[in-house]
Amino acid sequence: MGAFEEALTGNLPDHCPDHRAVEGSFARVLPAAELPPGAKKAVEIAGKEVLLCHTIDRLFAVSNICSHAQEKLECGRMSKGWIACPVHGARFELATGRAMNPPAKQPIATYPLRVVDGWIEVQVQA
Amino acid sequence: MSVEITERKQSAEGEARCPGAPTTQEIIAADRVAAPGWVRSESYQYLGDEDISTDRYIEPQYARMEMERLWTRTWQFACREEHIPEVGDYYVYDIGPYSLIVTRVAKNEIRAYYNACLHRGTKLRASGTLGNASEFKCSFHGWSWNVDGSNRTVVCPWDFPHVDRKKFSLPQARVELLGGFVFINMDPDAPTLSEYLGPAAKAHIDAWKLEDRYVYLHVSKRLPANWKLAVEAFLEAYHVIQTHPQVAVSNGDANSQYDIYGEHVNRFISTLGVLSPHLYGKHTEQDILEQFTLGDSGSVTGTKRTLDDGRTAREVMAGMFRGMFEKATNTDLSKVSDSELLDCFSYTVFPSLFLFPGISLPMVYRFRPDPKDHRACIYEVLFLRPVPVDGKRPEPAEPVHLRDEQSFKEAEGMDPGFGAILDQDTDNLFLQQEGIEASAKRGLTLGNYQEIRVRHFERSVEKYVAMPPKRPDWERSRKR
Ligand code: FES
Ligand code: FES
Ligand SMILES: [Fe+2]
Repeated sequence: MGAFEEALTGNLPDHCPDHRAVEGSFARVLPAAELPPGAKKAVEIAGKEVLLCHTIDRLFAVSNICSHAQEKLECGRMSKGWIACPVHGARFELATGRAMNPPAKQPIATYPLRVVDGWIEVQVQA
Repeated sequence: MSVEITERKQSAEGEARCPGAPTTQEIIAADRVAAPGWVRSESYQYLGDEDISTDRYIEPQYARMEMERLWTRTWQFACREEHIPEVGDYYVYDIGPYSLIVTRVAKNEIRAYYNACLHRGTKLRASGTLGNASEFKCSFHGWSWNVDGSNRTVVCPWDFPHVDRKKFSLPQARVELLGGFVFINMDPDAPTLSEYLGPAAKAHIDAWKLEDRYVYLHVSKRLPANWKLAVEAFLEAYHVIQTHPQVAVSNGDANSQYDIYGEHVNRFISTLGVLSPHLYGKHTEQDILEQFTLGDSGSVTGTKRTLDDGRTAREVMAGMFRGMFEKATNTDLSKVSDSELLDCFSYTVFPSLFLFPGISLPMVYRFRPDPKDHRACIYEVLFLRPVPVDGKRPEPAEPVHLRDEQSFKEAEGMDPGFGAILDQDTDNLFLQQEGIEASAKRGLTLGNYQEIRVRHFERSVEKYVAMPPKRPDWERSRKR
């Protein structure tokens, strides 16, 4: 993983001792080039509905399902740090999944994401 | 005979100015890059010298009257256009119990919907939020409205034969755009925003081109005082020598200029890079240069402050700022005057908006009453920077919400020197609120010149509060 990709995802660099150990559980999902800044893409990974988000400067993988009434988040407005549910307007912090405003109270799941050889990889199991 | 004497006395009132100091206009006239017309004009008027009665700050009943008379009739800054760039983007603006979903319904059209479901009243969006919608769906039973306000869904319409969906469009407040600001007004009978501002003030605002700036910092904090006391803490430079002694060394405080325009706009110009008249003889030009505080020093690096061969601190600062701000913000400031680069221009648009069109102090303030406590208010400060010359507009900054006990210096991105000034301004407020409540004197006494903006502001408060109540009207706000 290059320095650029590290900066993009905030993930562990190659020299980190844990890197190899966790690699096996990351699933390769999309060429990074297909998700430019400002883009979102809903994907299914191991039966989970995941939303890939590329904000102005970072990539995130979060659950595509709103914690309020189980609607899809994929058409919601995304800013630098959050995504807003298009249905009733709950917002979630992309980095942590925290619900920022009503009507949601519960967080949404977030998943580790990295870019390897130009591919976005996401780890859905713990 | 007695009539003549009274007239002569009145014409002299309010005419006194800080003795032994140059006027603001004289300071600015000596600058290298000349200031534009909106800077080089004066519009002071004496408005009497009676005390300001203090029930308005301490009576809950007065706050209730303001809510149903003043806030329902005045033009208010709701959000910046850049907060809602795309069709379907919305921003919820709240004032007291009222709440509006300010929505971009087409590329060049913004509307403000009353934020309440027409079934059983649930807010369609939580207060203080923003996002994008293709429809506004109520989270209770699922009735929904299109972005253009027309009704989209009534769940189980067979049960609502009495609901004419054509009449169930979302009611709207009025919206006008100016300088990149979205203004709302709940009163169908209010004057247009242009009439409300008046031609002189409108021309000033047009000249600033604030639509070419973006929000790069947004901080909010609850303040422990009635909203009007908080507003008034920022309406004069008279407090600088006592409240901000560190600023006075480079601020023409006692010789600042005060102007009023119609009923809703007033301003001061407070020159920077010059010594306070309170401190004449106590500091050198070199001291002035060294102690200058910037509102936006984050955009300026590598400051070396030396004064050579008889130039004034003001002159040197203007030259330095021009270069530094051009570099830092990637903009062309060659035609921008020294005064616009340096000085503090504080304008208010009644009731709640402050605009500071300068470059070194490029703020916007907004004050709103706390709907649950007339002794508290919500203060926001936004810093606007020029959109870079490459034309790419950055996303507006996320608001930072400070807790009551926090310092403004703790807000990420806030210049520490400026944060300290805001702390000084706002730390006095609870003492003033409590002192007014404790006082045997039931009025505030104001200076004729330096506190004219306070008087001007309170006159408008009184004017609106004397009107009959005006609550939003469902019939009339649907017919927009
Ligand atoms: S389903 Fe997302 S806010 Fe209700
Ligand atoms: S209150 Fe909104 S649908 Fe019932
Ligand atoms: Fe101050």
